[in-house]
Amino acid sequence: MGPLEQCEVCPVNTQSKLQRLGIDVGKYDYVVALAGNPNVGKSTVFNALTGLRQHTGNWPGKTVVRAEGAFSYEGKRYKVVDLPGTYSLLSTSADEEVAREFLLFGQPDVTVIVVDATRLERNLNLVLQVLEITNKAVVCLNLVDEARRHGVTVDDRGLARDLGVPVVPTAARSNQGIPALLRAMADVATGVFICKPKRVPMDSPKLRKAVEELTSNIEKVFPGLPNARWVALRLLEGDQRVLEAVTSGELGRLTDRTVARGLEFSLTQEQQRYESTQAIYH
Amino acid sequence: MKAHKPSTTEELIKTAQALRWEVGTELHDAAIESMYREAARIAQRVVSTKTAEPAARFDRTLDRLLTSRLFGFPIMFLMLGVVFWITIEGANVPSGFLSQLLVDTVHPALKEIGVSVGLPWWLNGFLFDGMYLAMAWVVSVMLPPMAIFFPLFTLLEDFGYLPRVAFNLDALFRRAGAHGKQALTMAMGYGCNAAAIVSTRIIDSPRERILAILTNNFSLCNGRWPTQILMATIFIGALVPPHLAGAVSAIAVVSVVLIGIVFTFLVSWGLSQTILKGEASMFSLELPPYRPPRLWQTLYTSVIDRTLIVLWRAVVWALPAGAVIWLVSNIHVGGQNLAHHIVEALDPVGILIGLNGVILLAYIIAIPANEIVIPTILMLTVLVTGITDVGSGAGVMFELETESATAAILHAGGWTLLTGINLMLFSLLHNPCSTTLYTIYKETGSAKWTWLSALLPLSLAFIVCFFTAQIGRLVGIG
Amino acid sequence: MTPFELLIAGVLVCGLAAVLLWPRNGIVARWRTSRERSTRSLLEDALKHLYDCEYRNIPCTLERLAGTLSISGEAAAKLILRLESMRLATRTERELRLTAEGRSYALRMIRVHRLWERYLADETNVAERDWHTEAEQQEHRISAEEADELARRLGNPLYDPHGDPIPSAAGSLPQQQGVPLTSLDRGVVARIVHLEDEPEALYAQLVAVGLGPGIQIRLINRTPDRIVFEANGEEIVLAPVVAANVFVLPLAAEKWSAVSHETLAHLNVGEQGMVVGLSPLCRGLQRRRLMDLGIVPGTMVEAEMRSPFGDPTSYKIRGASIALRKQQAELIYVSRKEKAA
Repeated sequence: MGPLEQCEVCPVNTQSKLQRLGIDVGKYDYVVALAGNPNVGKSTVFNALTGLRQHTGNWPGKTVVRAEGAFSYEGKRYKVVDLPGTYSLLSTSADEEVAREFLLFGQPDVTVIVVDATRLERNLNLVLQVLEITNKAVVCLNLVDEARRHGVTVDDRGLARDLGVPVVPTAARSNQGIPALLRAMADVATGVFICKPKRVPMDSPKLRKAVEELTSNIEKVFPGLPNARWVALRLLEGDQRVLEAVTSGELGRLTDRTVARGLEFSLTQEQQRYESTQAIYH
Repeated sequence: MKAHKPSTTEELIKTAQALRWEVGTELHDAAIESMYREAARIAQRVVSTKTAEPAARFDRTLDRLLTSRLFGFPIMFLMLGVVFWITIEGANVPSGFLSQLLVDTVHPALKEIGVSVGLPWWLNGFLFDGMYLAMAWVVSVMLPPMAIFFPLFTLLEDFGYLPRVAFNLDALFRRAGAHGKQALTMAMGYGCNAAAIVSTRIIDSPRERILAILTNNFSLCNGRWPTQILMATIFIGALVPPHLAGAVSAIAVVSVVLIGIVFTFLVSWGLSQTILKGEASMFSLELPPYRPPRLWQTLYTSVIDRTLIVLWRAVVWALPAGAVIWLVSNIHVGGQNLAHHIVEALDPVGILIGLNGVILLAYIIAIPANEIVIPTILMLTVLVTGITDVGSGAGVMFELETESATAAILHAGGWTLLTGINLMLFSLLHNPCSTTLYTIYKETGSAKWTWLSALLPLSLAFIVCFFTAQIGRLVGIG
Repeated sequence: MTPFELLIAGVLVCGLAAVLLWPRNGIVARWRTSRERSTRSLLEDALKHLYDCEYRNIPCTLERLAGTLSISGEAAAKLILRLESMRLATRTERELRLTAEGRSYALRMIRVHRLWERYLADETNVAERDWHTEAEQQEHRISAEEADELARRLGNPLYDPHGDPIPSAAGSLPQQQGVPLTSLDRGVVARIVHLEDEPEALYAQLVAVGLGPGIQIRLINRTPDRIVFEANGEEIVLAPVVAANVFVLPLAAEKWSAVSHETLAHLNVGEQGMVVGLSPLCRGLQRRRLMDLGIVPGTMVEAEMRSPFGDPTSYKIRGASIALRKQQAELIYVSRKEKAA
């Protein structure tokens, strides 16, 4: 995606806020990853955003393949990638590998983590793991209507404070809360809202020491890496993909995207000067 | 961005390796434990629960009722019974209408158009008697029951009832090495095996999913019900006085369904003890909260996702099958049509297993959909026996208004009670239709499982029919 | 032929087909396995044996080699000659030694063997007593690249399911930890770190009483003809020759009290418990899924309802209702809690 393409879209059509684009991904400005446990209504959120109609059912694990869709919001085009529903990102199953690799190497501009308000505790496990990888996330507290029926209330502001990322209560089945979710997604993607995600230290002192030692080593080799601790954890787990990324130096490119994006924006304005400078050097 | 130097990267990896031996295997479990501990802390702060809420109480009460020793099974049979009843009753009218429209009205009209634009007779027959008719037949028989059955099933699924069925029945399936959710894919198979294969995705353990796929064929699908009912009426119902005929043929069909269930369990057990012994296996079954089903959305998604996709595949397969059916009946070699030669060649094998060459040929060329097996059998019988006053010509499938007329043709073709019984068994056990096989290939991505799912039932069908035939002849019904 | 003759013929044909084609035990399957025991696999097994002697610091003789591979002394001598000509081993007066090349070859074999055992334990349902035999066959078939791919998929595991370290692709291997169970004193608490998987008969005994790496034990009594200890909440008696194949790492005594041997399967409907641990025998896919569901130490679990057949049982776990089979619930240790009013 080149910086010029962004500006082609800039002035167009800012009055109608959400425009669902279905599977027509085409050119896009931002990438949204959709993560979540199985059977939390992730597909429903996906459908609400893109206008597509993926089959949803009251079963864990309906979505088997990674699906993509798109929408446009406030004149910007977003590509939505629906990741496989997983309970965790720490294991060696194929689904988890897909989700993990996309979050780490695909560098989505914002990750929406859909959680089930009726089973928040179990869902938070995945949320905390995602927040280890990315610091641009929004928690979509889905099924609040169902939670209310079951006498469960969630203090979403308290949750946002604890997690350090925006939390939006929704009932995606009846489209409730989707506008607020879009707002929060746009704010995080464009860098208006800067997240300070919660990172959980290991309980055992011995393990904590090992992880910290490796983390500081990684930070020395790859300064500016936003998820050095996650990389450390993965190396200690023997994740071959991460090991290869370290060896090849690929990891060095995964520095904070906000910085990268900032650079991109200034480049847009100074594109010509930049190019002429290059011409001089050649 | 050239911040890293190769030497430090190497050092980093070395440090990581050394630390790995130090932290050993504890890390994985410990990391998850820490995450969950934090999750619990946060949840405790932000979640408040009032258990006295009516909905929560409703869920618990409903769960107790639906899984109770006393009411669990009666409710289950009632629910599934109602679903099947609505499907069968509801499908009659639209099926008749579609058949009237596509077969009785559009088909002759198309042929007339063909004649009027001057198509040669063979092209006209090939296109409309062969390809079009096969497709029309599949659509009119297949579409209505699926369009009723799938939404109903999806409603139960959406509501959250189906996982409870799996919970109730799991103990039976566990003994066969399978998963309780197989009960649901089996039930789905009574609608359509191809759709049921897709639904095995709900089984997340590799071994149990393969089991569910390989044995789904033993659930009598929508396309095979009419065959069973026709055979039971003509050959078994005819054995008893007319006022009992209905009940006796119904019992015969139900027995075939039960034999299918027995085979599902036996084959599941056998496979899990032998070739699937080493496949990874684990059980988990989440019982989601009950959710009010959304009628329109369900209707839409189940028609789009299940019915139309399966129907499309069936149509794609039916077109070439129709062409082949027409061709074998109309190409002449040495003064006889091709069908005649093949039937003669297949007859010894067919008779050995209590069937005949016509039936075997019909199963070979009608592999795309079980719906067209009976029309093909009728057409071929008329063709081979040379009966002149019924049917619409070589390669044109047909069905007759009355069962007695059908029976007359079959008796003329040399059919006996044994042929009827064996056709019922063969129809239950034989290989899945090509639509299903294609779906199995798509879902498993493996040619090995696809071949096994075709050859295993087929050889079972041959073995069972062979022994039934010999025993039948010994007791004198053949 | 009459139907009766056909019936007999049919039965005979089916029987014959079964004898021929039965998986694993059929004639065809046996013939295929026997064909695979070629010279190459004998050479490779010999190298592994030599490495094993070196690792354990015991001298390796021709007789011992012949015994391990169950071949005649003459055949063993021929084998050594082949190894020598391939510069993989050398022979002195009394013992056989590996060359550097032979050592790295042996380590490659061991790597494949242990990786495959790890794979069988984690990703398949193959019975524990068959792991070693299957790995013995696979190690001669898998190339180094395939082994690396397997390691990648398994997340580069460190240990095989018997607690033996898996050599890295570069061939490094740490020193073996632990002492034989026979050397423990009365009352000592220890954790099993390794089970010797050969000879098979002895290993099968250890598996049968439910031992495995990670399990905690406490020695109750030791006499010259029997070793009595507690593990998995049961008292286990082993002959010293069997117990010598169990290697343990002594732990601080206070660790013992923390272990509960009541399992989730013991909870009645309506009762609550707190998870204190997962049995080490719960591995691979199963362990992963249970942990994903939130079954980790500290989790409160309540038995909600039983299926009409008595199994499975549905448990309330972190807000969700999860049905587990009895067999699985028996692998989850809990401590019972009185339900808060």
